[in-house]
Amino acid sequence: MVSDRKEVSEIPSVGPMAPAHHCPLCRQTFFCGRGHVYSRKHQRQLKVALERLLPQVEAARKAVRAAQVERYVPEHDRRCWCLCCSCEVRKHLSHGNLTVLHGGLLEHLASPEHKKATNKFWWENKAEVRMKDKFLISPQDYARFKKSMVRGLDSYEEKEDEVIKEMAAQIREVEYSRQEMVRSVLEPQAVQDPEEGSSTPGSWKQRNRVSSSSQQPSDLDLPTAPELDWMETGQPLTFIDHQDIPGVGNIHSGATPPWMVQDEENSPGSQQIGPSYEEFLKEKEKEKLKKLPPDRVGANFDHSSNTNACWLPSFGRVWNNGRRWQSRHQFKTEARNKQQSRKGKT
Amino acid sequence: MAAIYLVDVDQTPVYTQYFDISYIPSTVFFFNGQHMKVDYGSPDHTKFVGSFKTKQDFIDLIEVIYRGAMRGKLIVQSPIDPKNIPKYDLLYQDI
Repeated sequence: MVSDRKEVSEIPSVGPMAPAHHCPLCRQTFFCGRGHVYSRKHQRQLKVALERLLPQVEAARKAVRAAQVERYVPEHDRRCWCLCCSCEVRKHLSHGNLTVLHGGLLEHLASPEHKKATNKFWWENKAEVRMKDKFLISPQDYARFKKSMVRGLDSYEEKEDEVIKEMAAQIREVEYSRQEMVRSVLEPQAVQDPEEGSSTPGSWKQRNRVSSSSQQPSDLDLPTAPELDWMETGQPLTFIDHQDIPGVGNIHSGATPPWMVQDEENSPGSQQIGPSYEEFLKEKEKEKLKKLPPDRVGANFDHSSNTNACWLPSFGRVWNNGRRWQSRHQFKTEARNKQQSRKGKT
Repeated sequence: MAAIYLVDVDQTPVYTQYFDISYIPSTVFFFNGQHMKVDYGSPDHTKFVGSFKTKQDFIDLIEVIYRGAMRGKLIVQSPIDPKNIPKYDLLYQDI
């Protein structure tokens, strides 16, 4: 179709018969020809787009007077879209580990290509002429910016030097306090009993205070007093020698606990816990046969067993439920009673 | 019901070395043979170093350990107020 999308064809456009014209601002294809740029929609889109771009340009313009130099941060690689040139432009200018804010954008805005593209853009989209100047940076402005950039770099360097000096002073302080503590610790150590070093409350307190202060040198005004109040009233900790056997590990190094260590005596034989396989099978058999009495009528009937007259299929009951022995028992009881009553009669 | 055992460090050198017990009293907690760790706010979570300030602290700690262990946790957060937990130095060879 049409290769250059923005080009209006040579054929004179006649209303709806006009060729397809893709407007990049509205991101739509229109068939109104050149009339589209005057339409309300297009002008609205144009206004919105320029309003989006304006704040960034204004921020860059402010930087012309007072250029800011900062330490490089990946955020400074951000790019911004230049509407007129239809390209992405690096917002900030970075070199090494320093960044000049808005440097990139200013450079682009001052360039002659951008000026040409802006003019073209204004002409094609029929934007307001007065607005055009806001989006341009003159070469003089750019020169001014360069001067202020140099000034900014110098002041930044000075600041950095100051910070480094401060840090050095702090480090020196820390070293000194640490050495003090070592000295104070070595002195009481020499005085103490060489066997089990059990520290007295006084020296332990002192050691605690000094060591806690060395851990946080910046806040030397730690509230160590209230913490130690309780320690004074309670019983002091007794210090045993360090449990430091170099070869063997401990809980912190992740060694196996002493109760999990395999004993050498029992390990050669198979350490089976629970019943052996044969015992297990026997238990299973017992479970199966538990429910069935061995003498009951039915399966596993031993034909060589002695049977007496009571061995009958039933005892004349009709509505019986429950085991056969229950009806047998009932029958026997009745037979006994009958016999007794007969005996009683005669 | 918690069982409390008082152990002499001189008579259990293996365990003293394993748990790295450098200060006494130190309390180690177990549940069902599993060693329970507790975050007291001190550097060592494997044992409670020092004595308990009140009985209630001890009871609360045991309850928290029990509840955590019943849920299957291996480390729990101590309910004791940090100011009641004794402070000690983890000095390495007195430096």
